[in-house]
Order: sequence, then structure tokens, then C-alpha cells
Amino acid sequence: MTSTPSSARRRTRRIATAVAASAFSIALVAGCGSGGGDSATPAADGQPVTITFWGWAKGTQEVVNAFNASHKNVQVNFESIPSGVAGGYAKISNAVKAGNAPDLFNTEYGQLPDFVSQGAVQDITKLLNADLKAKYLPQSVELTTLGGKSWALPLDAAPQAFFYRKDLFEKAGITSPPKTWDEYRADAEKLKNAVPNSRIGTFFPDDPSTFEALSWQNGAHWFTGVSDTWRVELNGNDTKRVTDYWQKLLSDDLVRVQPSFSQQWTASLQKGETAAYLGAAWGGGVLKGTVPDASGKWAVAPVPTWDGKPASGMLGGTTFAVSKDSKKAKAALEFAQWATTTPEGIQARISSGTSSMFPAAPALVPVAKAAFNTDFYGGQDIYSVFSAAAESIKPNWQWGPAMAATNSSVKDAFGKLGQGGTIQAAIDAGQQATVAEMKNRGLKVSE
Amino acid sequence: MTRHILRTTSSRAVTVRRRGRSGAPAVLLAPFLILFTACTLIPIGYAVYLSLFSERRSGLGFGGSTSVFTGLGNYTRALTDHAFLDGFANIAQYCLVYIPVMVGFSLLLALLLDSTLARARRFFQLALFMPHAVPGIIAALIWMYLYTPGISPVIDALNAAGTQADILGHPLAAVVNIAAWEWTGYNMVIFYAALQAIPREVLEAAVVDGAGPLRTAFSVKIPLIRASLTMVGLFTMIGSLQLFTEPMILHGTAPGVTSAWTPNMYAYTAAFERGDYGLAAASSVLLAVVAAALSLIVTRISRSRSDRRTEVTR
Repeated sequence: MTSTPSSARRRTRRIATAVAASAFSIALVAGCGSGGGDSATPAADGQPVTITFWGWAKGTQEVVNAFNASHKNVQVNFESIPSGVAGGYAKISNAVKAGNAPDLFNTEYGQLPDFVSQGAVQDITKLLNADLKAKYLPQSVELTTLGGKSWALPLDAAPQAFFYRKDLFEKAGITSPPKTWDEYRADAEKLKNAVPNSRIGTFFPDDPSTFEALSWQNGAHWFTGVSDTWRVELNGNDTKRVTDYWQKLLSDDLVRVQPSFSQQWTASLQKGETAAYLGAAWGGGVLKGTVPDASGKWAVAPVPTWDGKPASGMLGGTTFAVSKDSKKAKAALEFAQWATTTPEGIQARISSGTSSMFPAAPALVPVAKAAFNTDFYGGQDIYSVFSAAAESIKPNWQWGPAMAATNSSVKDAFGKLGQGGTIQAAIDAGQQATVAEMKNRGLKVSE
Repeated sequence: MTRHILRTTSSRAVTVRRRGRSGAPAVLLAPFLILFTACTLIPIGYAVYLSLFSERRSGLGFGGSTSVFTGLGNYTRALTDHAFLDGFANIAQYCLVYIPVMVGFSLLLALLLDSTLARARRFFQLALFMPHAVPGIIAALIWMYLYTPGISPVIDALNAAGTQADILGHPLAAVVNIAAWEWTGYNMVIFYAALQAIPREVLEAAVVDGAGPLRTAFSVKIPLIRASLTMVGLFTMIGSLQLFTEPMILHGTAPGVTSAWTPNMYAYTAAFERGDYGLAAASSVLLAVVAAALSLIVTRISRSRSDRRTEVTR
């Protein structure tokens, strides 16, 4: 094997191929890490500023379309992501860490303090004026103001609501929806007796937010920030009452245990095996989209309370936050403000037919009411129910700065409900994990 | 004459090797080394670096965070966290159930294919291997539907037959089943190939000695492919440490599959749900160390086995 011209050429070609291949692989590897580069062009030169926006709230695409059609200086590039608990929050924090986060994203009130604490969102205090803040419900402003600074614009308040199947309730001889938790239990028994396959509600083991709202409704305060110390009290007496009540419903097989918005839950609603849903205002649109065939059979009532007087917590509720590194905060807020405080923004969302959210700007409730088609609820004036509920939202609830840790530990323990676990054990686990996580972050905690 | 030719060829080979030493090996190794460095060494180095830091905040925590060097603090936290250790316990349980079930089925199928009774060998070989061609994530999604009461025909049929089937309430069984479908066909092919390599004289001798098919399988075939059996078992064990996709998909539907059901899921949750990258990196490094230790043991075992075998042949 001597080096002939031809073999030498072959070798050169081989080297070239190898080099090209390795260069290609490097490019591939590099490609994974880049993206989301900032091409901020000031609106002054006539070019519109394009912002990127991630969210999952129903009707968002319609809102973005309407905004883009009516605005020349700012254009929104919307990407629909999975809901927060279903992986959306993971996606957002991951993107922030990797430096390719969108300019604007949706987060629920509960997750906002965690994002602030992680340094994922921008302080927008200086970009908001008092007039704008005055448009929102005080509870919503309170939940988006942390450490004296503003971090997000609220889209909706999420007063709790009780959705039920009129026909199934009638069959069970339940003439009016339960006003108190005692009545709820009695009705649960009636329903199970009359329709053995059917249950009055669902305990969601994959998402503690309903349980949190119920604790909130009973006056619990899981987190209280006093000067520079957090008081963490997941296992206080107000929560315990809720815990014991639901534990008993579970033990007596009066409610189902199914993941929230799962195929399982949907199938059970479709078959009438679940006759009611403890949700929030936004649940009205979700329910309509989940079981469209049951149109006209559903109705809405205020959430049952302990003493029969109106009271509500907040279950979910979406806000718009600007990501830490965004250089287009002003443009992003222009869109967020339009989406949350203008009749056009609310109208576009509600008339999509998929959303029944209760605007955080109360002046726009009539707009929402007019835009929502209530055929599914037999023409019932559902927004009046939501309005009354919104007024009864208990003030001074605070979300903790490590809600992801709180929720994931509670969730994991809820997962053991089928195998001898209890709600109390889950809440205790949540308390412990939360305190450990907060201490690890260097925060002062008192239990 | 012959000797002379031999000598020239060998001396020429030496010169070629010497000339090529600088060029060809470097070029041939470069793509591997570059990718290995970029995709394995650098990420591991970065993970080790990340694992030494923690994010600290002050006051109520809304004033932003600072990265603080905490040494082995994250490792201590991971090792004292029940959730992390439970993940390893889950893997151990999983191996105890999964390996015998999967290896048993693969072996059974391979023996059946190898037996004189088998018809349409090619077809069954392919058909049994098919499930392996379905990517794990797709398989997990399909199984998720098949497990969900109310939409699964299987569960509905079982319930109609009077059983209270609740496989989502039994995470271990749910995950083992998915994995078994995925890997039985694959390992069956390995066993079948090993069985085919058994010298036919040995089998003939067994038949002449009056051994029936069962006796041949247990006393001749299985002992002769013991090396493949051990290898498959050990590799499956190491692979099980990396278990992630299937339980992660089930996590959404089966609350019993907790967010830290396997060590990999623990790292994922720490990083992407709780934003604790230090802890995530530390737990990943610990997992890598365990996997490396196991791999080392496996190579040791396999080397000593092959050494022994060469000695026997010698």
C-alpha cells in the first residue's frame, strides 16, 4: 500500500468529510443552546416592536389576534404552552434560566411569588401608574404586589363557584344547590343513594389549588410575611376543619378521586358519574368545552360555605408578568394592559366561547357578561353569581415564595390517598417541605 | 523466499502505521471526541460546578437572589432527603419485579422460537420485536390511555367482568408492564441469537441421550447461554437507574407516581419545578456515580468470565 495520487486524494476527501461531520455536529450542539436572541427595534423608526408571549388561558389566541389587528406599533407573537401545573411553569423557569424566555408570560397568582423569588420576573413598579392600578380589584392588586413592588398585571379574579347538573340533582330530590358544607354532604349522600354510580364532586390529587381555595375560604392563612419573616401555617385550625371534612367525604366514598381536567374526569362527567364540580369563575368556560353535549343541563351556584354567609377563596387566577431579561417591558405591558383593562380585550377573550373568566377590572364585568353565550347554563346569568362571589373573596391571603415546593410535596402525598395516605399527612408533609425549602433559600421562617 | 516476502510486507506495514499515526486516527477519533467532550464531559463538568452552589435570598425573598458556594451542601441535602432515597428504593423494587418478569418472558419466547416446534419463525421474530420499535414516550402515552378507567376498553372489560381493576393505583405494576412490553422482544432477539450459536452437535448429543425438549432447554440450552442472561440482567439493572420517560408520563394521570418516583425524576423536579439547580445537579452527579459504580462491577464480572472461559478452552 504505497501512497498513490488516487489514495492520497481519497484520504484528503475522507479528512474533509470527517471535519465537515464534526463541524456539523458542533453546529448542532451549539444550535440547542441558542435561540431567543434579542432583536429589539425601537418603534421610532416605524418598525413595530414584536414581543413574544407564552400563555395558556382560554381565548388568548383570539385576544392576540384582535390586538395585532388593531395595533401597528406593537405586535404579539403568541405561543400556547401547557397550563402551569401541567408543565407550563417548568417550561417558563427553564427558559428564564437558559436565557431564551419570552418577553411576557402568564402565571397564576399562586406561582408569582415563587417566580419573583427565583428572579424570573421584572419589577414593573415604575411602568404602572395609579390610574391603571385603580382599575383592578384591590385583592388582585394585593396579590401582584410583593415586597412593596408591582410584578404583574392581573387578568382575572377567580372567585369560587359551584357547577352542578340540574337533571341529576332533581333525580336525587335535591331541590336547590347546597348553601352550606353540611348541606353539601347531605346532598352527596342523597345523590349517591338515588344514582349509585354518581358522585357530587371530585377531589383532585394532582393539584392542591382547590384545597387551598377551600382553606382560604375558611379564613386560613398559609403564609404571612411580617417585616422580614415568613409565618408558615399550613396546618392551622382553619385548614384542619377543611381537611377533616374532606377526609370524611373521601372515607365515605362520597366524592371521586381523579386528576383535574384529566381524561378520567372528563369521561366521568360525560357519563354523569360526576354530577358537580367545585371550580372558579373560569371553570364555566372550561366545563362548557369539556362536556359540550351536556348543554342546558348545567347550572352555577355560589360555593357552599361553613355558616351559610357568602365567602370565597380564589382558585387560580391569571396574571401577566414580564420576564427578567426582556428589553421590551414597555411594549409587553402595553399588550397586557390592553388585554386586561379594555372592553376590546375582554370582549375578544370571552366571545371566543371558551373563557368565562371574571375580569380583575370590575368595570368590565358587563362586557364579559354580554359576550358570554350562556346557552350551556340554560341562559342563567352566571356573571351575577360570579360578581357576588368576587365581593365575598376573603382579603389578606398571601401566597408563599416557594409554592412549587409546597405544591409538589402536597401533591406527592395526595397521590398516596388511595394507599392509606390521609389529607392531614399530605398537609403536614407540605408544611415540612415548605419550611425546609424556604430555610434553604436563606429566608427567615417562623412556624 | 517466502520468509523474505513476509519480512517486506511486515516492514511495509510498520512504515504505513507510522505514517498514519499522525493523521488517520486523529481524524477518525475527532468526531467522537468532539461530541463526547461537548455532550458528556462538559455537561458533567458543568453539573459538578452547579452542584457546589446554592441560591440564597434575604428578607421575604423578593429582592432577588445571590449564588453562594455551599461546597457539598447540596449533596448532603440530597442524601438526607427521603424523596431522593425513596427513588432508589423504587428502582430497587422495580428491578426485583421487572428483571425476572422481562428476562423470563424473553427467554421463554427465545426458547420457543429456537425449539423444533416453532412455525413461521421469521414472522414471530419480527412481530415480537415490533413493540421495541415504538419509542418509549409513545408507548407510555398509549398505555396511559389503556390504564385510565372510563376511556380504556381493557379496564372497562375487566370491570365488566367483576374485577375492580385499578392499575393507576399501583405505579410499580403500571411501569413494569410498559417496560416489559418495550424490552421483551429486544432481549428475546439477543437470547435467540445466543441459542442459535449453540453447536448443533451438543443438541444432537442431548437428543441421542434421550433428552426431551424441556430437558434440553433446562439442562443444555439455558446453561450454555448463561453469559447472555447475566449480561442482559446487569445491563437492564443499570438501564433501570435511568428510568424517567414512562413514570414521568404516568405522573400526570397516576398521582401515585410521585414527582420524585425515580432519582431522575427527583432531579427533574428539583430543577424545573422548584428552580433548585444546585440540588438537581448534585442528585444527578450522585446518580451518575451509582451508575458508574454498577457499570464498573459489570465490566469486572464480564471480564473475569471471559478470562475463565479462555482458560477453559486453552
